[in-house]
Amino acid sequence: MVCEKIQDLLSPYLDGELTPEAKAEVDAHLSSCRECAELLSLLRMATDSLTAFPDVEPSPDLTAKLYAVPARKKKFRFSLDFLVKPSLQPVLTAATVLLVIFSFYMFGPYKKDIDKSVNLQIHRGYSQIERLYAKAGSVTDSLSATAENFLVSLKNINPLGNNEE
Amino acid sequence: MLVDMYSKKVFNMAYQFSGSYQEAEDLTQDIFFKLYHQLAKYDFEKNFTAWLLTLVKNYLIDMYRRTKWEKRQRDDFDKHLHAVSGTDNPESDLQEGENKKILWQGLNQLSSDIRMAIVLKEIQGKKYEEVAEILGLPVGTVKSRINRGRLQLAKILHDKRGKIHGL
Repeated sequence: MVCEKIQDLLSPYLDGELTPEAKAEVDAHLSSCRECAELLSLLRMATDSLTAFPDVEPSPDLTAKLYAVPARKKKFRFSLDFLVKPSLQPVLTAATVLLVIFSFYMFGPYKKDIDKSVNLQIHRGYSQIERLYAKAGSVTDSLSATAENFLVSLKNINPLGNNEE
Repeated sequence: MLVDMYSKKVFNMAYQFSGSYQEAEDLTQDIFFKLYHQLAKYDFEKNFTAWLLTLVKNYLIDMYRRTKWEKRQRDDFDKHLHAVSGTDNPESDLQEGENKKILWQGLNQLSSDIRMAIVLKEIQGKKYEEVAEILGLPVGTVKSRINRGRLQLAKILHDKRGKIHGL
C-alpha cells in the first residue's frame, strides 16, 4: 500500500512538483525500498529517452504536395464521409430495419401467405366501401322521397279550410 | 507560409503518434487540407499554434479510432530516427539507443489518449498547461494521463530490457 502511494508520487517527484514534506517522504521510502527506487530509475530513463527523440525531416515531395493543397481544395472532391456522420445514424438504422423486414418478406417462406392475407384485407376493405356507398345511395333515395312527400303535403294543405268542392 | 512554419511540426506529431513515415505523410496532407477548410473558423484572439495542434490531435485520434493503428507495426526506430546520441560513453549510448527503440515500439501499447499526452509532453517537450490547452482538458487530468503513460512505459522498459539482457 505504501509503495502504491509512493509510485503515484514518482511522476510529480521527477517533475519537481512535490512539496518539501512529500519529497522528504518519497526520499525516505526510496532509500529503503529497492523496487520503488528501480521504478524511479526506469521512469527517469523513459522520460530522458523520449525527450531525446529527434525531429524528423518531412520529404521534399511532401512539402511540394502541401504547397499544392490550397489548389486541391478548390476542386470538388467526392467523399462518402457523410455516411459515417452520427446525425445520419438513426436514419441508416431505420433504413436497415426496413430493409431486413422487406428481405424477410421477399425471400422468406411466407411470401404467398402474406400476399394472400394482404389481398384478402384489400378485398374486404373494398367490399365494405361498396356496401357503405350503397347504403349512402339508399339513404339519399329515401331522403329525396321524403322531401317529395313533404312538398306534396305542403301543396295539399289548405290553411283557410275552404273546400273548393 | 503555413507550410513553411508548421509542416515539420504537424508531420512530426503525426509520425510520433502513428509510428509510420508513410502514414504520417498522408495524414499531414489530410490535416493541411482540413486546415485550409477550417481557417475561417479560427478565432484571432486565440493562440494559433495551440488551435492548430488541437486540430491535429482531433484528426489523429479520429483516424486512429476509425482505422485502429494499434494493430499495425510502427516503423523500425532506425529507419528515420537515429538511436545513438553520440556522447563520449559508447556503452551509455548503446543503452540509450536500446531504450529509445523499446519506447518507440512501446508507444503502440498506450491508449490513443495517453499516447497523445505523452507525445506532446515528453517528445515535443510542452508544458502541462500547453498540453491541457491542446487536449482541452484540465491540467490535473493531463497530469494523471502522463503519470499513467510513464508508468506503462517504465514497465515496458523493464520487461523488454529484462528480455534483452536475459534477466
